[in-house]
Amino acid sequence: MTTPAETSASEVASIPLSPEFGWGWLLALAASAFMVLVLAYSIGALVFIGVGVWGTNVPFVWGFDLTNYVWWIGIANGSTLFAAILVLRRHSLRTAINRFAEGLALFAVICAGIFPIFHLGRPWLFYWMFPYPATFEVWPQFRSPLTWDFWAIITHLIVTTMLWYVGLIPDLATLRDRARPLAAKRVFAAFALGWRGSLRHWALHQRAYRLVAVAVIPIALVIQSTVAFEFSVTLVPDWHETRLPLHYVVSGLESGLALILLAAAILRGSLRLERYISVEDLDLIGKLLLANSLVVGYVHMGEIGSALLAGSYTQTATINRLVGDYAGLYWGAIALTVLLPQALWSPSVRASNPGCILIGLGVTAGVWLDRLSIVVGGLQRDYLPSMWRMYAPTQPEWYLYLGTIGLFAALFLLFVRYLPVISMSETRHDEHREARS
Amino acid sequence: MAEDRKCTPAIADHPAGEALWRSPEDLAGEEQARRFLEGEFPEPAAPEAVDRRGLLGRMAASLALAGLGGCAVNRQPWGAPLLSHPRLPPLHTPGVPLRFATSLELDGLGRGMLVESTDGRPVKIEGNPLHPASLGGTDAFAQAEVLSLYDPDRSDAPSASGARMSWADAWRVVNDLGQQARSSGGAGLYVLLEPRASPTVDRLVARARLLLPEARWFTHAPLATGTAHAASRTVFGRPLDQVLDLTAADVIVTLGGDLLCSGAAAIRYAADFAQRRRAPDRPLPRLYAAESTPSLTGARADLRLMAPPRTVEAAARQILAFLRGPTATTGQLAFAQAAAADLRRAGARGVVAAGREQPRDVQAIANAINGELGAAGVTMRYIEPVIALEDPPMGSLASLAEAIAAGRVRALLILGGNPAYDAPGDLDFSNLLSRVPMSMHIGTYQDETAILCRWHLPARHALESWGDLRAFDGTAGLRQPATVPLIQATAIEELLARVIGEPGDAHALVQATWREDWGDRFEALWLKSLEDGVIAGSAYPPVAVAAPSGWRPGSAEAGGAPSGQTVVFAPDPSVWDGRFANNGWLQELPKPLTKQVWGNAALMAPATAAAFGLRTGDMALFTHGGLSVEAPVWLLPGHAPDVTTMTLGFGRRAAGRIGSRRGFDAYQLRSSEQPWAIEGVTIIATGRRQELVSTQHHHSMEGRDIVRVAAAAAPPPPHEPETRLPSMYPEYVYDGNAWGMAIDLDLCLGCNACVIACQAENNVPIVGPDEVARGREMHWLRIDRYFAGPLAAPETYFQPVLCMHCEKAPCEVVCPVNATVHSSEGLNEMTYSRCVGTRTCSNNCPYKVRRFNWFNYGQRPFSAPDEVYNPEVTVRWRGVIEKCTYCVHRIGAARIAAGMENRPIRDGELMTACQQACPTRAIVFGNINDPGSAVADRKASPRNYALLGELNTRPRTTYLARLSQKPPLRRAGGGDDDTG
Repeated sequence: MTTPAETSASEVASIPLSPEFGWGWLLALAASAFMVLVLAYSIGALVFIGVGVWGTNVPFVWGFDLTNYVWWIGIANGSTLFAAILVLRRHSLRTAINRFAEGLALFAVICAGIFPIFHLGRPWLFYWMFPYPATFEVWPQFRSPLTWDFWAIITHLIVTTMLWYVGLIPDLATLRDRARPLAAKRVFAAFALGWRGSLRHWALHQRAYRLVAVAVIPIALVIQSTVAFEFSVTLVPDWHETRLPLHYVVSGLESGLALILLAAAILRGSLRLERYISVEDLDLIGKLLLANSLVVGYVHMGEIGSALLAGSYTQTATINRLVGDYAGLYWGAIALTVLLPQALWSPSVRASNPGCILIGLGVTAGVWLDRLSIVVGGLQRDYLPSMWRMYAPTQPEWYLYLGTIGLFAALFLLFVRYLPVISMSETRHDEHREARS
Repeated sequence: MAEDRKCTPAIADHPAGEALWRSPEDLAGEEQARRFLEGEFPEPAAPEAVDRRGLLGRMAASLALAGLGGCAVNRQPWGAPLLSHPRLPPLHTPGVPLRFATSLELDGLGRGMLVESTDGRPVKIEGNPLHPASLGGTDAFAQAEVLSLYDPDRSDAPSASGARMSWADAWRVVNDLGQQARSSGGAGLYVLLEPRASPTVDRLVARARLLLPEARWFTHAPLATGTAHAASRTVFGRPLDQVLDLTAADVIVTLGGDLLCSGAAAIRYAADFAQRRRAPDRPLPRLYAAESTPSLTGARADLRLMAPPRTVEAAARQILAFLRGPTATTGQLAFAQAAAADLRRAGARGVVAAGREQPRDVQAIANAINGELGAAGVTMRYIEPVIALEDPPMGSLASLAEAIAAGRVRALLILGGNPAYDAPGDLDFSNLLSRVPMSMHIGTYQDETAILCRWHLPARHALESWGDLRAFDGTAGLRQPATVPLIQATAIEELLARVIGEPGDAHALVQATWREDWGDRFEALWLKSLEDGVIAGSAYPPVAVAAPSGWRPGSAEAGGAPSGQTVVFAPDPSVWDGRFANNGWLQELPKPLTKQVWGNAALMAPATAAAFGLRTGDMALFTHGGLSVEAPVWLLPGHAPDVTTMTLGFGRRAAGRIGSRRGFDAYQLRSSEQPWAIEGVTIIATGRRQELVSTQHHHSMEGRDIVRVAAAAAPPPPHEPETRLPSMYPEYVYDGNAWGMAIDLDLCLGCNACVIACQAENNVPIVGPDEVARGREMHWLRIDRYFAGPLAAPETYFQPVLCMHCEKAPCEVVCPVNATVHSSEGLNEMTYSRCVGTRTCSNNCPYKVRRFNWFNYGQRPFSAPDEVYNPEVTVRWRGVIEKCTYCVHRIGAARIAAGMENRPIRDGELMTACQQACPTRAIVFGNINDPGSAVADRKASPRNYALLGELNTRPRTTYLARLSQKPPLRRAGGGDDDTG
């Protein structure tokens, strides 16, 4: 005899365990695999020809590279932070959202990590950032925000992986028990770490899970601020701002939320998981995103205000970002990250799959424009007018960017195929509770 | 043994399959088999014992024999085996550069240079302090000559109708030609020369004219038009050159030209101007410039008149009229009034100089004004023409063209120059040249002329050849090779000598010239002159001429305002008349006023261009008298209205892989009648556009305190102590040297000599036009140019910007791998091998002086040949940042030299490359810890300031504010309302 909870968990488990997954999935995977090939090509061009294949120059020594890095890190931070908060709050939403939010965060960190390494002039020497005891006794420059950021990425990768993996352990055990092919069984068994579902296991698991989640909150904030330090610590007039870390944290969280909304809406539609990701869930994320967008709007107002009050260099630089050659990026970002989410005031938008997908995409793109506006637009008016120039990305830069999106999509597609995308244990837990009450 | 080889009998005898055997030994018995094997494989069977000695001996012998193969005499183009020295030649230490004094040519005149040659390889050129045309300074052309030496596109073999020929064939043709000419007295032989002040060439030409009386002689250089001589003939009745002494001048008026930055005397004049400007206890000299095309002299002038050529001529006439009496007529130019008033006040301490492009009348008026002022003997002197005028005078290119068209030319010798490219468009010289039955060209490149001639002979580069050249003041200097000839080539002197049947090599020919002159003292004087680079006491003495007080300029030929548009031609600041077109350093050298690279443009005033609906980069068709050229337009603030400037030297068709098909060829519009200015030009916008590449896109200082200007009349402000804002980091302590630099913006003319000097010294790569268009030029030292004031008549400011070597360097703290660090002497040092290429240092550099190697620029289509690299400086590879080092290798060399003598480095003993090249000594470098040093002295000046000092970077490179003085009659809006 099976309880309803067993049924629903089986349904979730049946997704990774079924031998067929439909042609839609295959098609999507093929498309993203192609994008991964594009990624490999553009990385190959960087390594074998040089970073000159990009449109970067002096003074625009950074272009798409840092823009995309900051964007991905923002997504990762936003998703992790959101997932961690749900874990700690034991929010009902966590059943539906947590697993893939954590997954999104992990994949975003992986995509983000590509840029700091391959934007180097000599990427094969990236390990010099690491303080290993070299024979020539040179250490990294600990005063450099890039060194701080190196640690931030490493920390981020470890913590995000932990959060995702710790939550996954009970489900891995379920998969181990149900997998039919011996090879799959063994792989699941290895990662399930001998989970037997004893009460002691559950108690320890809850403690560990919440411990990691607690760690995530300050770390995500610190990491996002550290990314901002790469800019705010420099002398560049538009970047040298104490408000920048806050800006990065807030808009990073927004891009994370938007991506979660996007992914939730897509999963609901394509994997027929309406039962697990309910309209209420979408509604809640939508409200959060709406609130976040208001905060982002507030931060932008602060940006303009502080620019007007700032010294002449900063004022010129920031105002130029608002009205100069790259003004389109700034106002595009405002439209997509502040104005577009206002549609979420309407409950019917929050409840509609296409609406959520559209807004999720729009906000994610808007945050990317915001990053580009800061990285590129912020550099346009620095100290000596003789070096005021323009930057335009080249094809290899687009390829690299689209390639990381492909990698992200491929990882996500594999994840939904081979791992339970909704936490089975949490679902069971909730359903038991519902059944009891 | 023969049958042994086939097969051993025992083996053959055995019937197959009878018994099993494991080895031939088994089968045939050991002895037999051994013998068989010995016969078959002699050595392995009985290896001869090789002892260690024998082996080493054979190895040594093989290596020695292999080495001998490299000594084949006939493989070396210079005809002698290149063996290592068992004993070093005197003075030569491997790795220690030798300096050869020589003379480089511009406008046919010599400029004395010192060529620095490391292990037989010239890598750098510096000015010769003993030479009057240099005084130790250089210009961009002289600096870049070393790259041309190694140009892989140089012509390296004789050719006939495009096919490579042997030298034996070539000499046979030359000898036949000479023999034929001598037997016929030179009838039908036409010779085209470049005007050149070379005593040896003059001697050979004189001899040739004696031996070949029927031969016809012509000279042609696109920038030499002889109007100055025509003018002095008008005024004084005889052709004369003038030499200025700007150190004595209180008021300088230039009418066109670019007195301080262009031409064979410019380095000297710039130095003199600077010396006069810094003269203690004398007020600043006044500089007036009237010109139709903006020049660097005009940019430096206290008052500038930017106007069409006719207005410039009117100004000259009015100045003369003012000086000769108060002729208060209406419609006088404010410029002329102010200049004349100042000149009258200055008297003999005033001087007027007219540019080469000015018509004869203006040049004559300049002579008359100088005569009126009594300037001769004080601020200027007249000398006999340095480029000797032959008697009978040689013909012009136009007369040669006529002769060819008439079919009189049977044989044509073109000794240097490139008339097929740089002849005025109306002569159609290319077509004519291909009609000549026998033509021979000698030159360093297979250029446009070489291709059209029947025969072409490669010429040696100046740094490989012997010769002699007189400077602008007549001082003769010897030219000596600084290297063995890199390719087998000849020289004009040698060719001429063969034609007259008295062959000899250039060395002997030059010696013969001076042996005639010096007689018994030859041996001593020859060596001394070679060492010094100048022949002592050879400057021409001043010629006393009667004051031309009676001379009247007459009325202007065609009065009134010109109808329509005027086009004026000017030598290009990067490639001159086109001869430097294949030099990558010069192609990538930002032109001083436009900062354009890799091409030229038709420069126009913004208002004039607007009238035709043209913007920068729009193509326009310029038509005049049946000639036309399509050129991209460049809007240049401060350009004379209704005038377009076209610089010559671009649009080369056969310059080489660097110089061909860049820019447009302005010679096509030039006419032989009016080589410098044409009026009534039709301009039509064609609607096409062309991407023009430039290194500076923003021209205003945006009200920022970047180039400071102080009023000369105002009392100097108190010395501003170095800004020291609070800092997180402790101060560095310098016990020994602390290097610093001070750049006097009042002396900087923006001439670009330092830019190329830095590039040559520090192996700065050439990146090519596409990369510059992307903003990736690599110059460690750039000259920022700003305009201030009204668009029609702006002030122009120049500021050389290089690494500031900040005390609190923002780049140092942000490099994650410690690749850029502070040295114990205060340098901000870049460790290339540690750099991983995050480029964050460039982000944090407010001066944007850091450059990144986006590609392997040493291995790209435009890169310089390896030979030109300075062995003292690392060549940077892909993915690392580089920047100015304050010539740290020179500091190291000076430290070693001082250490050997156990003394500190003396002030002035050590110069950076930019400092050494600067003609005006605007750049001073030294130890700021030494209060007696020149740099400490400059930094104590009230004009000293730090660029962006408010950022607390505490730069080691500081600037001295420019001084400005406005003449009293200056009206609002500057000179532009003068033109109405």
